[in-house]
Amino acid sequence: MSIILERLTKWFGRQLVVDRVSLEVSDGELFVLLGSSGSGKSTILRQIAGLSQPDDGRILLHGRDVTHLPPQQRGAGFVFQNYSIFRHMNVADNIEFGLKIRRFPPAARARKRDELLDLVGLAGLGERFAGQLSGGQQQRVALARALAYEPAVLLLDEPFGALDVKIRAQLRRTLKQIQRQLKVTTILVTHDQEEAFELGDRIGVLERGQLLEVGPPEILYARPRTSYVATFLGAGMVLVGRQENGRALFGDLDLPLPDGVLREDGGRVQILFRPEQVVVGEDQPPENAITIGRGEVVDQAFTGASRRLRLRLPPLQRVRQIAPIPPFGEGGLLVDALIPAGLPVTTRSLWVSLTGWHLLQPPAFQLLVYAAADGRFALPPLAGFLAERLQASLTVLGVKRDSAAIEAARRALEEGLAASGARAELRMRQGEPLDQIQAELAGTLYDLLLLPVDAEPAGGSGKNWPGSLVGSILENMNGRWTTPVLITRGQIGSIKRILICTAGGEPGKSDVRVGGRLAWRFGAAVTLLYVAAPADGELSPTARVHLERAARMLRGLDIPCEVAVRSAPSPREGIIHAAAAGDYDLIVLGSHGPQFRSIFGWDDITYQVVSSVTRPVLIVPFDPI
Amino acid sequence: MNFQPAAPRARPRYRPMRTFVPVSTLLLVLLPLLLLPLAAVFVFAFRGGLAAFWAALTAPDAQFALRFSLLIAMVTAVINAVLGTYTAYILSKYRFPGEQAVGIVVNLPVAIPTVVVGTSLLLLWGPIGLLGRWLDPFGLQPMFSPIGVLLAHLFVTFPYMLGTIKPLLDELETTYEEAAYTIGATRWQTFRYILLPALRGGLFTGALLTFAHSLGEFGATVLVSGNLRLRTQTAPLYIFSQFEAGNLATANAIAAVLAVVSFLIFFFLLRYTNGRKGS
Amino acid sequence: MTRRGLIGRRVSQVTAVMLITGVGLYAIWPWLPFSRAAAPPRTIIFYGFSILEEVMNQGVFPAFQEEWRARTGERVEFVSSFAGSGTITNQIIMGVPADLALLSLELDAYRLSEAGVVREASWRRFPDGGVVNRTPFIILVRPGNPREIDDFAALTRPGIGIVHPDPLTSGGANWAIMAEYGAGMRGDPERPGAGRDLLLGIWKNVVAQASSARSARTQFENGFGDALITYEQEVLRDRERGRLQGEIVYPKRTIFSEHTLVVIDRNIDPVEQELIDAFVQFLWSEPAQRLFVSYGFRSVDEKLNAENSFFGWIQDPFTISDFGGWPRAKKEIIDGVWKNQILQELNR
Repeated sequence: MSIILERLTKWFGRQLVVDRVSLEVSDGELFVLLGSSGSGKSTILRQIAGLSQPDDGRILLHGRDVTHLPPQQRGAGFVFQNYSIFRHMNVADNIEFGLKIRRFPPAARARKRDELLDLVGLAGLGERFAGQLSGGQQQRVALARALAYEPAVLLLDEPFGALDVKIRAQLRRTLKQIQRQLKVTTILVTHDQEEAFELGDRIGVLERGQLLEVGPPEILYARPRTSYVATFLGAGMVLVGRQENGRALFGDLDLPLPDGVLREDGGRVQILFRPEQVVVGEDQPPENAITIGRGEVVDQAFTGASRRLRLRLPPLQRVRQIAPIPPFGEGGLLVDALIPAGLPVTTRSLWVSLTGWHLLQPPAFQLLVYAAADGRFALPPLAGFLAERLQASLTVLGVKRDSAAIEAARRALEEGLAASGARAELRMRQGEPLDQIQAELAGTLYDLLLLPVDAEPAGGSGKNWPGSLVGSILENMNGRWTTPVLITRGQIGSIKRILICTAGGEPGKSDVRVGGRLAWRFGAAVTLLYVAAPADGELSPTARVHLERAARMLRGLDIPCEVAVRSAPSPREGIIHAAAAGDYDLIVLGSHGPQFRSIFGWDDITYQVVSSVTRPVLIVPFDPI
Repeated sequence: MNFQPAAPRARPRYRPMRTFVPVSTLLLVLLPLLLLPLAAVFVFAFRGGLAAFWAALTAPDAQFALRFSLLIAMVTAVINAVLGTYTAYILSKYRFPGEQAVGIVVNLPVAIPTVVVGTSLLLLWGPIGLLGRWLDPFGLQPMFSPIGVLLAHLFVTFPYMLGTIKPLLDELETTYEEAAYTIGATRWQTFRYILLPALRGGLFTGALLTFAHSLGEFGATVLVSGNLRLRTQTAPLYIFSQFEAGNLATANAIAAVLAVVSFLIFFFLLRYTNGRKGS
Repeated sequence: MTRRGLIGRRVSQVTAVMLITGVGLYAIWPWLPFSRAAAPPRTIIFYGFSILEEVMNQGVFPAFQEEWRARTGERVEFVSSFAGSGTITNQIIMGVPADLALLSLELDAYRLSEAGVVREASWRRFPDGGVVNRTPFIILVRPGNPREIDDFAALTRPGIGIVHPDPLTSGGANWAIMAEYGAGMRGDPERPGAGRDLLLGIWKNVVAQASSARSARTQFENGFGDALITYEQEVLRDRERGRLQGEIVYPKRTIFSEHTLVVIDRNIDPVEQELIDAFVQFLWSEPAQRLFVSYGFRSVDEKLNAENSFFGWIQDPFTISDFGGWPRAKKEIIDGVWKNQILQELNR
């Protein structure tokens, strides 16, 4: 191995720019680090060269630990985006500089210099100065200069970034040729995926300091694991659907789950398909392909060899599109297709089918923590627990009504986060808390909203809550609200026993499913509670069937589960007593849709429970299906 | 070959009709402000005729004052070139607490009246000064000696070198240094072979500016030198004492020489900077 | 870069190097070992008040150098500095390495002893109480005396502009105040406050203050004011040569300034003591006193004063001892009257 990086970590102030990056690059390999700006790719390269010190981790070059060596002793050749040709030296002196420093005799220097000038295609230009060379020529000089002293590794930081397209292509070929010829281990940093595909033996994709995936270009393109890599490398459609019984469901599309995808009933799955995997037909669905529907052509572009169509399809049930991002407020699916350029498109409406697809790894559990951002902030212990057990990515949302207070609030939150040691992304929004929470939920697919509540439960009917944020969220949890809300109070930092309440009705599907999923992840025991009115006497047969089905579903996931029936004058009292008796760490309630309010009249159980117990309460929105 | 010369800066063409009014206005303003006073120096210098001018110039006191001034100016320029470059390098390349304070302090000499500089040097290094009183018993006497004059000039002209070098260093992209480091050059080699050549123009300009200001320094020098003829009397001090003594012609003869020297310095300065812009 | 550009660059580089080397050589020449005189001369560092410059540099120093060489064969070098008496006093207090100082008024000598630079009244050990020479204070007016100024009293007329040295830095200015005050007092001995009135009248007309008597003179010659109050000596030399641009008006009553020699013993290298003593002695010798007279100073030896036919006659001359000596005059008149009364009144 020429280059080994071990858990390389770098903070810029409070921002983590390189996040435990480990990587091995073999001898003679041309490795491309690909990432958008700010992904930390240049920082990694600079750390390998010794121009920046990692906060943690090790760097080995040819088996030698160079982590704490100055750049001079690492023997890395570095090429900068801005060429950095020494302006007061001519080309020859620039190339010979490294040899001069190393006290090579003049004859050897001249030989090496001529060899390199030939190699980079600048023979005869040794007397020129930087000002007399084009950008491409300057970069060739920089390359020759970095190669002159036969470096252990060659590092290129966006070497073609400042050049125009044509010269860029030329230089790429030169670089690849030289690299093959000299067999020098090379890392090239770029944000250009085309460049990465063309040059890289292997590609590593970086996002926010994390090395997401590493692999040969073909594999990364065809079978990425994450949606980020799927969309960063080439165009493609990514849809989020749902697992059920070992199958992946996207509307009517029912696909087998491939091996290696984490099986979790009710969990999310993501599907990727590329425009070249999309076929269209005018009158009937294309054969030998899976049809996803009929779509309307909204846009088309001529790209030379082919024509790119953009079609809008009607929305699929319980499917959300991640890429391309549909315009805000519009339903429907956007699908790009590539068809031969010569093929005329006569109708506005076409059948859309897939010839191939790829299922991505389920996305990480996304946890959103709302921070009231008043004064000092401390991350609730439960958030840490969830993040750890669910391997969730944590986002903290701070909202301020007053734009002037945002900066101060952000600092307070940053300090609080730094003190808790948790790794979380911080988002600040300005406006009404409820609106901003909703906007945030609409923008990103969160699995759970954690709502810490400071106030002690008020007790009683709970009617004194509506003014608060919790009250207004509960009022809005119908229809389009799909994210479960976990209301937490106090210091509970782990969950061992879960109470799923089915007060007076049949257990909803979603509350059992979500509660069960969490119990599975936490290794917690579940009690299914049914509260019956004293007058009811016997359990109704339907209720019994529902309870049994729910219990079976949970036991199927190997979750210890029991059923408890309790009679109480009101569901609220039944739930509160049961919660107190069983010492549960989490109470799961289904939020019933508005239509239930009129029928049963005690829709405000949620209010009442939330306002009466000190334990965390998870409210699962009503699932329309 | 893709040879792109730097685009020459577009300068408007000379148009006599349009130029006349603004240019003559400028000359009219400059006449009483700059041109006439300069001319007066020369008129008075030569009023007694060339022989008198020559006699004034070759008087031993005058010769001493001129040589002494030039020598001090040269030594000042050399020392401050080194010191100023070093300061600029440290301020530009290192981050440390109190950096801003240092940045302000080193630029202060331009803002302080030179007389105050002289006084404070006296109060520090003079025989009854804070430090001077400890040196006095050993027979060390920095004030009222050429060393004192040099100290004052170093102090007063310090910002000029710094002021020309630091912006250059700040603007020079760090990748040049980093390239040198990765190639294997030590910090010193990088400074010697990469930074210094890039600063050459600034060094030249800064040294000339320092030289010119040192040549004309009066306020601090008059206090710390003791104004001893043939010992510490610089050309401006000589001019002033001749003026005070009523020997206007002698004063103006030396003043004329200083004016010519300054003119030459700035002539070279302008030519050099223009030349660099052109290439 | 074109060939011509390269050559041009090389040429200008060579020129610049040659120019710098040339200037450098010129500047450093006197300090180069081979250009120095064989034996280092013995040195006297002399500080004098402004009007002394000519007589010392051209007369007294060369005469002493001559005498000393004749006596011992050694070369004596004089390093000198001339400025207002107050200025050089301050410089000496700050520590300039002066061996001797010839001050325009004894008051500055007292300041030196107060600052601990010399022992109190150490100058009194010399002949004439340390006074080397004298000169009366006179009025210099424009040629033809267009404003018809005949005495100090005439200077109080409205509309007359007077150039006066600054009493804070100039010894001559202090003398001038004493002359003005004394003239008023002695002109009307019966009336108390006559001196003060004349002083006030004159100072109301002061249009320019210069740091020394010399610079006051330069200002006057550059066209400032109608009258200048200054040392007789200051203008006498020019009148001798017919170069004086103005006329001397001798007041009926005026003061004779007395110039005091101070030896700063602590600055004197014991090896040089003999030389300094010889020079001090020389200052009161007849050749030196003659030189003073020929340069317009009045000698302490009255009989020599007849040798200068340009000296004017003063009806009622007086000296500082008529006011009880400088310390008292300073307290009662300079501070008590001029500073505390006249200046206050003028500032009002």
